[in-house]
Amino acid sequence: MNIIEIKNLSRTYGDEVKTYALINASFSIQKGEFVAIMGPSGSGKSTLMHVLGLLDRATSGTYLFENRDVSTLNDNELAVLRNEEIGFVFQAFNLLPRTTVFKNVALPLIYARDKSEGNKRVRDILEKVNLSHRLGYLTNQISGGEKQRVAIARALINNPSVVFADEPTGNLDSKSGVQVIEILQKLNDEGHTIILVTHETETAECADRVINIVDGKIVSDKRVKSKKRVSANDLIK
Amino acid sequence: MNNIISSLELALNAFKSNKTRTALAILGVTIGISSIIIVFSAGEGIKSLLADQVESFGADVVQAEIKIPSSKKGYAGERQSAMSLLQGAQVTTMKSDDLKDILELPNVADAYGLFMTQEQITYRGEIENTIVWATSASFIDIDQAGVDEGRFFSDAENRSLAQVIVLGSGIKEKLFGDSDPIDRTIRVRNVRFRVIGVMEERGSIMTFNFDDMIYVPVRTLQKRVVGVDYFVNILAKLHNMDFVDETMEEMRGIMRENHNINPPDEIRESIFDTGKDDFRIVSMVEALEAFDQMYSTITLVLLAIVAISLIVGGVGVMNVMYVIVNERTPEIGLRKAVGAKNNDIMLQFLVESVLITLIGGVVGTVIGILISWGVTVGATSAGFSWNFAIPIEAFVTALLFSVVFGIAFGLYPARKAALMDPIEALQHNK
Repeated sequence: MNIIEIKNLSRTYGDEVKTYALINASFSIQKGEFVAIMGPSGSGKSTLMHVLGLLDRATSGTYLFENRDVSTLNDNELAVLRNEEIGFVFQAFNLLPRTTVFKNVALPLIYARDKSEGNKRVRDILEKVNLSHRLGYLTNQISGGEKQRVAIARALINNPSVVFADEPTGNLDSKSGVQVIEILQKLNDEGHTIILVTHETETAECADRVINIVDGKIVSDKRVKSKKRVSANDLIK
Repeated sequence: MNNIISSLELALNAFKSNKTRTALAILGVTIGISSIIIVFSAGEGIKSLLADQVESFGADVVQAEIKIPSSKKGYAGERQSAMSLLQGAQVTTMKSDDLKDILELPNVADAYGLFMTQEQITYRGEIENTIVWATSASFIDIDQAGVDEGRFFSDAENRSLAQVIVLGSGIKEKLFGDSDPIDRTIRVRNVRFRVIGVMEERGSIMTFNFDDMIYVPVRTLQKRVVGVDYFVNILAKLHNMDFVDETMEEMRGIMRENHNINPPDEIRESIFDTGKDDFRIVSMVEALEAFDQMYSTITLVLLAIVAISLIVGGVGVMNVMYVIVNERTPEIGLRKAVGAKNNDIMLQFLVESVLITLIGGVVGTVIGILISWGVTVGATSAGFSWNFAIPIEAFVTALLFSVVFGIAFGLYPARKAALMDPIEALQHNK
């Protein structure tokens, strides 16, 4: 089953002088896939992720998310989808400052329709990313690797079908980076669709499939021949 | 609901992180709201003061006072009269015939004529300048004044031009201290008067300090001291206030007839349309109403000024909200990314600005109450009958203003936050 299906998707900026950030992109991603979107900086990979993550709208082309044409959805419907079906992990973690780990993870619950067993869900998920002992810590009291694991926990709290990770290892030391990739791989094993945006080949090779994008165009879309499995002891950089 | 609670929590966190800024924003609102409370409370205080003064004069009293006739009508006429009075013109037409005729009116229970003058009085070489309040004996009943020592003069003494005097409590204190003044002799312009009583302390009423006056029979003063035969006021106590307008009209008729004044051709619509009259009839109720109206106007003007200060405070809140929204732009982006709708963001920041103005409102209310209470203590110890009361409207207005201002001045910043593009917001400051 395709969770994401795009056809001739373009995103331009500006009215008179148009800048193309994404040009005629077409591909589909199946449920349960681990896809890396790769490209140098400025290639349009972030734009692609924003459009796929329903943070931004394409200028032309069609985008079916879980077989729904997103161009027919209004802002509130997109917000509900982001809340329930999509989890984001950002390079800069984007945690709320001066707020506890627990509250950061619980943040999407504020906007969720199903808030049942919220506290239990937060605890379970923090357990999963090995952060149970940091529950009451403020986000400025924990390390970078821990921060990114908090962000992953936050992305998972509403049990989304897709997790978008935008350069999740970019601000981390290599060891913490490996931990993050390991968690993403585990999540993928559990059935979550993962879309990883990166500019590092080594990181991209931890996925099942790599989509290369250069100057807004998709230049290649290949399966990874030998997917790299990482564990906390490995170094991938 | 959950949403509001978490917004509140967030707002409090945000406040804690920048105490000075929040405190300053709150201060602006505090000043405005405490002013509202003070204006309302002062209104109650002034009303109680006026009510007390009218009470001590008697609400069922109507008075005729002298007035310089003018050729103009209405307000212009009033002004002309006042100007002539200032230039030293004197009206000498209000006489004992008027008093006698007024006393015969069916609705008039009692009345007295008043002559007032400033005289030098001497006692054992000590000289005092004082107001002489010369009336008939009915004064003590109509004004509900009391005698502390001795007695007030009688009607017979007034008729027989008896040289007797009753002292105000203040002047007695000045001249005699603790010693007994009864039967001592005081000179008023070299005419000897025998002290027969001392008045109870009465305080100031409408700028007159009744304790520093001396009281003598009006006929004695007219014939033996000043050498005139007119009054400056006639005060009449009525049986039934339901007919106050009719009685006032009757008094006007009597006095016009006695003074040979033809009524104006037009129908008079207000007490000001009495241009040619050399007197003016006013009731205490009317005076109170005039004061009340005047005070209502003042209150409105004060509230308008307060509203300006609140707007200034509100602009401060708005400014702070813009800074907060700008500072928390990445957070707004994140919230949108995890599913916050525009309305959720809007609500969050509105809750925050309303919280600022509400805290300002509560603190302002407390400060306003404290200041009003301080004013009451001050006024009471200065001898005014000033009630401490804060009407419920004050609280309602204060609360309403705080919430409305929070929403009004938080709206634009909150809207700005709500309409932010999630991606731009996420990448803010990067």
